[in-house]
Amino acid sequence: MSIEAVKPPSPGLDTAGQAPVITDAGNTSARTALHLDAVDKFYGDPANPAVHAVKSFSMEVAEGEIVALLGSSGCGKTSTLRMIAGFETVSRGEIKLAGRRIDELRPAKRNVAMAFEGYSLYPPLTVRDNIAFALKAAKLEQGEVDRKVDHIADLLEIETILGKYPSSLSGGQQQRASLARALIRKADLYLLDEPMSQLEPQLRSVLRGRIKSYLIEHGLTSVFVTHDQTEANALADRIAVMEDGVLQQIASPAELKDRPANLFVATFIGEPPMNVFPARLADDNGHLHVVVEGEGAAAGFTLDLGEVSRPAGSRLTGGAAVHLGVRPHSVSLGRGGNKGLLVSNQWLGDQTHVVIEAAGQTMVAVSYGRVDEQVGAEITFSLSPQAIHLFAQDDGRALLHGTEAVG
Amino acid sequence: MTSLELNAVSKSFKNDQVLSGLSLSATEGETVVVFGPSGTGKTVLLRLISGIYDPDDGDIRLDGSSVVGIAPEHRGIGMAFQNFALYPHMEAADNIASPLEARGGTAAQIMEKVREIATLLKIDHVLSHRPKELSNGQKQRTALARALVAGPKILLLDDPLRNVDAKLRFEMRLELPRLLRDFGSTTLYVTQDYKEAMALGDRIAVLLKGDFAQVATPQDIYNNPVNVEVAKLFGDPTINLIETRLTVADGRAQADLAGTTVELGTGYDHADGRDIVVGVRPEAISVSETPLEGALPVELIAVTPLNERVVMLLHLADGTEFFASSPEDGATGTRRHGPAFARIAPDAVLVFDRDSGQRIHPLDAGPQVSGQQTQ
Amino acid sequence: MNHTSTAERIIRGLLLTLVLLFFLFPIFWIFLMSFQTNEDILRIPPSLFFTPTLENYVALISGRLSTVAGDLDIAFMRNLWNSVLLSSLSVGVALILGVPAAYAFARFKFRLGENIAFTLLSFRFAPPLLVLLPLSLYFSELGLSDTYLGLVWVYQLIALPLILWIVRGYFEDISPDIENAYRIDGHSWAKTFRKIAIPLARPGIAAASLLAFIFCWNNFVFALVLASADKQPVTVGALAFVTASGIQYGQVAAAIVLSVTPTLLLALYAQRYLVEGLSLGAVKG
Repeated sequence: MSIEAVKPPSPGLDTAGQAPVITDAGNTSARTALHLDAVDKFYGDPANPAVHAVKSFSMEVAEGEIVALLGSSGCGKTSTLRMIAGFETVSRGEIKLAGRRIDELRPAKRNVAMAFEGYSLYPPLTVRDNIAFALKAAKLEQGEVDRKVDHIADLLEIETILGKYPSSLSGGQQQRASLARALIRKADLYLLDEPMSQLEPQLRSVLRGRIKSYLIEHGLTSVFVTHDQTEANALADRIAVMEDGVLQQIASPAELKDRPANLFVATFIGEPPMNVFPARLADDNGHLHVVVEGEGAAAGFTLDLGEVSRPAGSRLTGGAAVHLGVRPHSVSLGRGGNKGLLVSNQWLGDQTHVVIEAAGQTMVAVSYGRVDEQVGAEITFSLSPQAIHLFAQDDGRALLHGTEAVG
Repeated sequence: MTSLELNAVSKSFKNDQVLSGLSLSATEGETVVVFGPSGTGKTVLLRLISGIYDPDDGDIRLDGSSVVGIAPEHRGIGMAFQNFALYPHMEAADNIASPLEARGGTAAQIMEKVREIATLLKIDHVLSHRPKELSNGQKQRTALARALVAGPKILLLDDPLRNVDAKLRFEMRLELPRLLRDFGSTTLYVTQDYKEAMALGDRIAVLLKGDFAQVATPQDIYNNPVNVEVAKLFGDPTINLIETRLTVADGRAQADLAGTTVELGTGYDHADGRDIVVGVRPEAISVSETPLEGALPVELIAVTPLNERVVMLLHLADGTEFFASSPEDGATGTRRHGPAFARIAPDAVLVFDRDSGQRIHPLDAGPQVSGQQTQ
Repeated sequence: MNHTSTAERIIRGLLLTLVLLFFLFPIFWIFLMSFQTNEDILRIPPSLFFTPTLENYVALISGRLSTVAGDLDIAFMRNLWNSVLLSSLSVGVALILGVPAAYAFARFKFRLGENIAFTLLSFRFAPPLLVLLPLSLYFSELGLSDTYLGLVWVYQLIALPLILWIVRGYFEDISPDIENAYRIDGHSWAKTFRKIAIPLARPGIAAASLLAFIFCWNNFVFALVLASADKQPVTVGALAFVTASGIQYGQVAAAIVLSVTPTLLLALYAQRYLVEGLSLGAVKG
C-alpha cells in the first residue's frame, strides 16, 4: 500500500516539530487579491517586544473570496485587520493588495472599504448621506446613487431610517448603516470588523444569508473579524483561526470541522465543543486500538480502528499518549455497546443536548429530535471510528481524522 | 407546595409602566425561567422579589407570607447578578462567605462551607484572589457560589451567563440543572437566550410588554405558542411567518402561499375567510430538487451552515423570504442554488390571526399538547 | 502609530524639561534662599555661590527675629502648630459631616437634593470677604472669635464642599448592585455603608481629604480677620516678617520651606495610597 495514497491534504504543518506557524497554501484557482507575507505586529521595543500581538502571519485571499478571522478576544485578529486597513503599522513583513504593496501607504490610498464595529458614521449627515458619501465623492449621478442606496438599505432593513441622523439610532442600526456605507463603495477589499455584533439574534440570522449572497453576487473580496463561529461559518469561504497571535489553521468551515490541525482548533470550532478524553494507543497486530481508561468504579472502553495505514514517522504507535476527540453530533445514542449514565437532557426545539457520564468522563451528545430517557437512567451509545480524531498529548497536533492518519 | 407567589404585581418608574399586574406562582424546588427580549422588565421583576424595589401594587409572597415592605436583608433570598456584582475589595472566599457571615456561625464553620461550594463549582483554587484577578468564568461561578452558599429558599439568577463566552455558557447550561436540583431552591432564572430558557426551565414565563404572555413548559411554548410574538422568540432561525388567508373547502382548511395551496388540516371551520399568518418552524420544512406531493416551488438563495445544521434561505414565487433548516449530514434536499421544492410537514403549521396575532386553534382537536416530533 | 523618530524624542525631552523648570525652579530657589542671609539674597546679580547659614531656621525655631533695627519676638512655631491643628480638625469634621452627606446625595434622589448640594458648592464661589464682615460680627456676639472652634467652623466653608462633591462622585461610580448584593446577603443598611461603600470610595475620600487639607492650610483671610496672634496659622503669621526695617527674605524663605514641608509629605504619602486605591480598579468588579 502506498503511503501517498492516504496522505490527506496537509494543512501546512511541517512535521519537524517547530512552533505551529501555519502558512497558507493559498487558493491557486483564482487570482490573488490580498497577500499577507509573514506579518508581525509588536508593541514596544522590537528586540524585546512588550506585546507580540501578531506572529508571522501569512495568508492569501483570492479575488472574490470571503475570509473570516476568528478567535477569542486578544488573539490578534483585530490587529491583523487594522494592519490591512492601515490603522496600525506593520512591524515586520509585507501586505500586498491587487498586486501592489500597501503596508507603507496611508489608509486612504489603499482602496479598502471598512465597516467598523463601533460608531463611525458622520454625525452631521443623515444615514442616506452617510451611505452615499463615497458614491457622491466618486461623482456618480444622483439617480444612480439613490438607486444603489435604496437597494442596500432594503437588504439591511434600514430603509425606514435613511432620513435620520446617527445620534438617534440604536447600536444595531448604526452598525447596519456603517456596513451599508462600506459595502456600497467600490474597493479592492472590504474589511468588516465584527459586522453583526450589535444586532439582535433574530435579525442576525436573516442578514447573514443576505450579506453573503450580496458579497458573492458582486464578487467582493472581503476579510471580516468575528469572535462568533456561527457567523464565521455562515459567511466565510475560509476561516483563519487565530490564538495568541498565531494563525492556527486557515481552511473552509467543513475542513476545519473535519480536519482540525490541532487540539485548539478542534475544541474551538464546533458548537457544542468537541468531547476530548485522554487515551492511550495500543497496537494489536497492525490493528490500532484507542484505549480510554476507566476511572475508579467506572469501566473504560476501547475502540478498534482497524488497520490504519500510517505514513513514515507517524506518531500513531502502540503506547502513544493521545487525546481522543469526538464531536457531540457523532455520538450515536441508543445503540452500540457502551453504557453510560444520562446526567442531563436538554431539548432545544430542533435538537437535544444530553450529557453522558461514562468511563469517569462526561460526554456531550447532540441528537435531532427528542431523547426519551430520563436523567439518571442508563443510556447506550456508540462511537464510530469514522468520526473520531486523535491528537498528540504533548503538542496537541492532529494525528488522525476518522481512519485517515495525518501525514 | 407554593414557595413563591406573585399576585397582580405592578411597577412603574415615573410615567413608564414596566410591569402591569403580573401573576406567577412557583412550587418548591421548581425552576421558572423568565424569558423575554431586553427592556421588558425582567430585571425589575427580580428586584421586586429581592426587595431592592417595592411594587406599586400587588403582593409578593414567599412561603405563604407577604414580603412587601420587608428589607432585602430579611428576605433570605440568594441572588446572582448579570454583572456579577462581586465585592472588589474582598477575596473570592470573603465574597462567598458574606451571606454566611450575615447568618452567624464560627469562622471555621463558614470557611468549611465556602470550601465545599467552591470545590463543587471548581473555583477552590482561586479563593484567595480578588475579583479583578478572576477570569470572567470564575467571576460568574463566584457570584453563583455566593448566591447558593446559604441554601436560600428562593434563588434569583439575573441572566448569569450573559457575560461569559459561548463555551463557558454552554458548560454552565449543562451543569446548572444538577446544581439547582442539589440545592433544592426555588429558582427564578432570567435570560434572553431561548436555548437557555428551554434547557433550564421546568416552566418558561414569557414576559412581553410588562406581563406574562405565556407560562408553560418548554415543549408547550415551542409547539403551541399563544401568539405570534411568543412564537417569534423561539428557534434559530426563527419561525417563518407568512401572511395569507384561510379558506375552508369540504371541512379542510387551506391557505394560498404564493400561488400554491397548502393544507392546514381540519377543524378551522370557524376561521373560514379570516386573514391569517401561517407559522412554520424552519426544521419542519424539507427542501429537495425534485417536486414532492404538495411541495411549494421555491428559489434557493443561500445556504449557510449553523452549528452542524444548514440553513437555507428560500424565496417563494412572489419573493417572500423564508428559511428551512436540516441536519448537515441529513440526506434531505439540495445544496445547489436555484429552483427547488419545499415541503412543509403538515402537522407543523401554526395558524395565527393576522390582526391580533393570537393563535387560532383547530376546534375539534383542541390545543395540541403532545410534542410534535419534527425532523 | 508607534514610530518615534529621534527628533521627536529630543523635542519631547526638551519640552518636559521646560515644564519641569517652570514649576520646580521657584521651589528650588526658595530652598536656596532659606540658607542665605538677607544680604546674599539681595545681591545683584544673584549668585549660586554663598556660605550657607542655618540662621534663618534658628531664628524661626527659637522665635527671635534679629533685624538691623533690633530683635523681634515671633510666634512662627506656634503658627505652624495652629495650621496643623486647624487644618486637621477641619478636615476631620468635614469628613464626619461630608461623607454621609455625599452618600445620601449619590444614592438617594430627594426633593431639593440637587439644590442643596449646589448651594453647598456655591460656598466655594462666594468671595470670602463677602461673608467675613457679618461673620466677624456674629462671631464676636457668640464668643466664637479667636477660638479654634470658630475657625474650624468657618473652615467648613472650604473643606465641606470639596469633600462632598469629590466623594459623591466616587460613591456614584460604585455600582448600586454591589451594595444591593450585600444587603440581599443579609447585611443591614448601616453595615453595607461601612463595609462596602466606604472602603470602595476610600481613594476618593483620601483625595478629597488631601485637597481639603491643602486648601485649609493655604487659607489666609478667614484667620486674618477672625483670629488673634496665638490662634493664627502660618499664612497669617508670615506677615510678621514684614518688619519696619524691611522684609526678612531669608526667614520668609525658611518659613515657606517649613510650612510647605507637612503638606508636601502628606501629598507624597497620600499619592502612594491614591495610586494603590485607584489601581484596585475595583469598582467595576
